[in-house]
Amino acid sequence: MNISSQQEKSLGFKAVLPFLTLVVLIVLMVLPYNISILSDTMPYLTLIGVYYWCVFKPDLLPVAAVFVLGLIQDVLLGSPFGLMPLMLIGVHQFVYMQGRQFLERDFIFNWVIFIMLVVGYGVVYWAITSLYYRELLDYLSIIGQILVTIAFYPIITGILGLVRRAF
Amino acid sequence: MKSFGQRFSAIFFIILSLALLILGRNQNQFIEESRGYIFDAFIPAIKVVDIPRDATSGFSGWVNRIATTFSDNEFLREENAQLKRDLTSSTELVIDNLRLKNLLKIKDGTVSTITASRIVSDSNSPFFKSMLINSGTIDGVRKGHAVVNEEGVIGRTINVATNSSRVLILNDINSRIPVKFAETGVNVILAGDNSLFPTIEFLPTEEIANIGDQILTSGMGGIFPPDLPVGIVSEISELGEIKVKTTVNLNRLNYVSVIEYEIASFPVLLNPDNAEQESAVPEEGQVQQ
Repeated sequence: MNISSQQEKSLGFKAVLPFLTLVVLIVLMVLPYNISILSDTMPYLTLIGVYYWCVFKPDLLPVAAVFVLGLIQDVLLGSPFGLMPLMLIGVHQFVYMQGRQFLERDFIFNWVIFIMLVVGYGVVYWAITSLYYRELLDYLSIIGQILVTIAFYPIITGILGLVRRAF
Repeated sequence: MKSFGQRFSAIFFIILSLALLILGRNQNQFIEESRGYIFDAFIPAIKVVDIPRDATSGFSGWVNRIATTFSDNEFLREENAQLKRDLTSSTELVIDNLRLKNLLKIKDGTVSTITASRIVSDSNSPFFKSMLINSGTIDGVRKGHAVVNEEGVIGRTINVATNSSRVLILNDINSRIPVKFAETGVNVILAGDNSLFPTIEFLPTEEIANIGDQILTSGMGGIFPPDLPVGIVSEISELGEIKVKTTVNLNRLNYVSVIEYEIASFPVLLNPDNAEQESAVPEEGQVQQ
């Protein structure tokens, strides 16, 4: 195997790295933890992942990949088919529309933007689900999920950063 | 140009997601089957990612069992003595019950255990209460089978793939289970509301519920066999909303049983000859030619 083919192989793996890490985050969200508080306050790990990769490696996470990831999450979560693709593509487009404004900024800046994003995400998620079921669902649990997601942001992005640098 | 392509594909996938959402509302057959294929394919991945959690919980469970062995043993001795005392009276009641059923020619339905399954994944969401189990059509599971454990009712299968099935838990907002009050026998519906305390619906106005009333399956609807424990009335609000605490701890599920209930055929009240004779008799107001 010559050097150029090794580089191609390494680039090929890099290209699927965001997708693979997001699949792992989806699976982590649906494991049976048997912890009562987690069942209602599970953080939006995929939101953190999609935001992270859109900010740091936008070229490696096309809309089609986000759509497929959303469908996988819908299937494993048991949520209405099409809900998570809609939500995650919304996040993808939000970051994409900002262009290079989010790139090469410090951690605190990205975290503050993420806090605003997760609040909007939680409200839209609650609204669409309520509309789907034609019933006002409990919004308190959304507040819990938003807070836990904000708290998990440094941990998940830290791990994703390690993975990105390792490969 | 690249930006235009990106924007165009985003609009395309947003429209596709909306279309799936709308189609999925009507239990589209294609979407349901696709779901089955996808979660079947992901079972191995879930098992791999679950190894560390499984090992940790297995070890902590083992330590916990060792630590509580002595107290558990004492408790089980006392419980065993009590159960032996109860067994005699219970046997008499069973014999009486059988005798009375024979007198009334009542036919019971049959309950068969299809399989015991492990929970592979959980929704972990405040809005969706369902879980995946590692049994599917290959094990004989079909859509609409009841899912229970030794404590009582958990839910029913709503989507079955070859090696896995999705179970709608009884506290999901879409879940409706025909139940009854154990003492009075009043039939009602247990409706999930995504909380740990589903509510009782359609209680007749003349009937009164009390805190502590036991709720059992009524057997109506043909999915759940009658008299399975469901819960106890835990709260009655001023507006009359009745909350039920489920007998099963829904946050501590590891293994479940999938069961099938077959309703007994109804006894024939009229034989065909009598039925023909009766149909030949003219109704009131009819004039025979």
